[in-house]
Amino acid sequence: MSKFLRPEIIGKGSIVSRLLKRKLSRRRFLGVSSCALGTVALGSQLNVLKALAEPGSGVKLSLVPDRSVFTCCEMCVNKCGVIARMREGVIHKLDPNPSFLRSRGMLCARGNAGLQTVYDPDRLKYPLIRTGARGEGKWRRASWDEALDLVAGKMTAVADQYSRAGMMFVSTEGFQEEFFLRFAECFGSPNTLRHPTLCLASNLQGFGATYGTNPFPDVRNADYLIMSGANRAEALFTPDSIDMIAGDGGRRKLVYLDPRFTRTAAKADEWYPIRPGTDLAFVLAMLHVIVGEKRYDREFIDTMTVGFDELVPHLETYSPEWAAGECDIPAEDIRRIAREFAAAAPRAIYYQGRRSSFFDNDTQLRRAMAILNVVVGNWDVKGGMLPGKKIHLGENYYLAPWYDGVPERLETGDVTYLSLKDGAWKPFRDRVLAADPYPVKGMMVYKQNPLQSVPNRSKTLAMMEQMDFICTIDITMSDTAWYSDVVLPEATYLERLDPIHVLSGPVPEAVMRQPCIEPLFETKPNQWIMQQLARRFGDEVAESFNFTMEAFIANQVEGHPEILEALRTRGVYRENDEPVYGASHGKRMKTRSGKIEIYSAKYAKEGQDPLPVYRAPQTPSRGRYRLLLGRTAYFTHGTTQNNPYLHELMAENSLWLHPDEARRLGLRDGSRVRVRSSVGEESLPLRVTEKIRPDCVYMDHGFGVLSKGLSRIHGRGASDAALIEDRMEPISGNVAMHQTFVEILPA
Amino acid sequence: MSKKRYAIVLDTRKCLDCKACTVACKAENLVPLGTENYRNWVSEGRLRGSYPRLGQEFVPGQCMQCGNTPCKRVCPTRATGVGAGGIVTVEDKKCIGCKYCMTACPYNARYYNEERGAVDKCTFCAHRIEQGRLPACVETCPTNVRTFGDLNDPDSEVSRLLVERPYRVVKPEMGTKPFLFYLI
Repeated sequence: MSKFLRPEIIGKGSIVSRLLKRKLSRRRFLGVSSCALGTVALGSQLNVLKALAEPGSGVKLSLVPDRSVFTCCEMCVNKCGVIARMREGVIHKLDPNPSFLRSRGMLCARGNAGLQTVYDPDRLKYPLIRTGARGEGKWRRASWDEALDLVAGKMTAVADQYSRAGMMFVSTEGFQEEFFLRFAECFGSPNTLRHPTLCLASNLQGFGATYGTNPFPDVRNADYLIMSGANRAEALFTPDSIDMIAGDGGRRKLVYLDPRFTRTAAKADEWYPIRPGTDLAFVLAMLHVIVGEKRYDREFIDTMTVGFDELVPHLETYSPEWAAGECDIPAEDIRRIAREFAAAAPRAIYYQGRRSSFFDNDTQLRRAMAILNVVVGNWDVKGGMLPGKKIHLGENYYLAPWYDGVPERLETGDVTYLSLKDGAWKPFRDRVLAADPYPVKGMMVYKQNPLQSVPNRSKTLAMMEQMDFICTIDITMSDTAWYSDVVLPEATYLERLDPIHVLSGPVPEAVMRQPCIEPLFETKPNQWIMQQLARRFGDEVAESFNFTMEAFIANQVEGHPEILEALRTRGVYRENDEPVYGASHGKRMKTRSGKIEIYSAKYAKEGQDPLPVYRAPQTPSRGRYRLLLGRTAYFTHGTTQNNPYLHELMAENSLWLHPDEARRLGLRDGSRVRVRSSVGEESLPLRVTEKIRPDCVYMDHGFGVLSKGLSRIHGRGASDAALIEDRMEPISGNVAMHQTFVEILPA
Repeated sequence: MSKKRYAIVLDTRKCLDCKACTVACKAENLVPLGTENYRNWVSEGRLRGSYPRLGQEFVPGQCMQCGNTPCKRVCPTRATGVGAGGIVTVEDKKCIGCKYCMTACPYNARYYNEERGAVDKCTFCAHRIEQGRLPACVETCPTNVRTFGDLNDPDSEVSRLLVERPYRVVKPEMGTKPFLFYLI
């Protein structure tokens, strides 16, 4: 049934409501049926609002909200506080929550675009079962019962034919991930594969091995900041990105090392286009100066650390003059920066970054960064590196069944420190392909998109091809969903009640998602999906999922009603507004020695370098370029490129190339080029720019998708995952994404 | 109550070009999708210098709510007017879509809204101001580039900033008397 919709004004004479008074009806023709959104042509949110309003009764339009809901963002990992402004049952606008401290009361472009995850016609709406070949895109709509019966049957078949370890469970962080992991455990597979080895595993490993924890940089109060490849002006991370800028114009100095002139470079006091893979040489040379000239904090080193005496001779050969030849940064600048850094200490931070999947020396680079911070004594002081704190919540206990004869994790022994929860993507995938030591034939996916995120896409495709069964739970048709057998539509974060989560940090905060609207179409929260699946695996498994979300939350806040009260009325709960400094001084650290470990005895025992040793990266041969990848402020990994608002900001990625090289290759700005590595070839437009080192090329992550279910971006740009060779940093198992050389050819 | 004169003061040095303001505005004001439809924007300044000594600025903009309005002057139907607080308005009902005002505006701050059948532009989120809320672009900005307030109030943050800091306006030679002030 289609009809013209007539707007009707309820505004009280505000300018905008007057502006809206006419013309809607005569111009727009909307198909409105029981599944309105499915048939609405892509237009503005206005169309959606109209489509969702009661047909026949007329649409009421005003820009003034009639209700507000405190909730929290899920467009990236920051979880910023959000106030959803509602009107007539529709989410009109997502505003930042000024009470939420960690985001400093802001909401970025992605956070603002979040409402489109709900109203985007491209969202997943119903359970789908594949009818054509994998990746062909032929589906039929199924009922939840049929889809879940199929999934449970296939999982049981894999477990029966191989073992319970024959199912792999792929997921990434989110407030409902814990139910997926709980289900994996109750099903009885050790093979969970999470995102850290594509992200920050080496960072956690390097800083963890040194401090026994991953500290939080007090960027707001630091006078001197050095960032190595951490592009905080674009890869927005709260509160660091905001605090980095807030200090600008004051005492704060920002030194930034990156082969690209990013927006962070534009904001930095000094930018050095460092040769990729040589940051460790820079840090060691800084240490050489600071230790050699005794500019360190002797008292702190004596009381809080072990292994300084081994460090001193280790640094001897790592002079600024030596490092200059590695990094392409003048020795006098390295020496000056080291002295300035030591002079600003303890309010000086060598910032550890977040994604640290760059090179196969990455854990040792993060170790060196940690050691540099340690020797200037910036631990747990204002403007330094701070321990994270938590808010205690009540537990929700469950009992996973025990199964006999399940083998250990597939990639056991492949990584020095393998996380049993996260796994390590590269060796895991290699072992699935080799069925060594046992086959993995079933794949459950929640929220993660390995076809975009794991280097060497053709291997991921091969891994998926050999699967008997693949099921993906997501909110959009990701590439991984596109290659699945069953796709289950999750409700978006604006439609769900999620458990309370504590964001740890110097000032920890608890947040919660309250639903703004009921889930649209037939989408369901992951908790419900897991419960329904669990019921199909017997009473013992079902028992672990026998709870309501309300009861789950009640357990979390048992004895502390003030937490729930604060979340409902302010959208955030915290116990203090300012960090408490210095409480950890003189106390035991969570390392084996109880001190901060400059020299790592445990690394020595594992046959790894106990102090960071520099090994020069390979240089590209003539005519080849090092491929770099990175982020913009508009996109989170591969998830938001198809969002209607964000798509407008960047419709396609491009290949950055220095003008001298473009001239040499005879390639023009804007022309289409092919990029070829040893594992793949992609094509995209060329962007000739001086913002990059001549020996590198760069592309933004997240384009070149395979899925036609992402209608706006399918066929646009290139996928870095298709080009990057799969290499690994051996201590943490993190992939090394900047070690691929490519040729550039005219398209 | 004394008459208000609204203004925005911008500290572009803080701007990351993250486009939060642009998306916030589109959602808040139901601006139709499409890259030609926008009430505010962030422009990338020219890349200065040459590798490796480079510099770049990012400059947000929107309707300058001019004191002397070329858009109003050329409007044949008086759809464009000046409302409370000095905010330049467009009355949908009167707009015939001739787009003279779009040509006359030296800041390219107007677009034609197909859905409403009228020219549209920034209103400083007048409907939010009425409720005591900040304009969407001001509120959402991660780094607080924009400060919004009443210039007729000498104690307001905008008044204080313009007393304490040097500033410029865009295209002063046009004589438009803009009320967006860019700190230097």
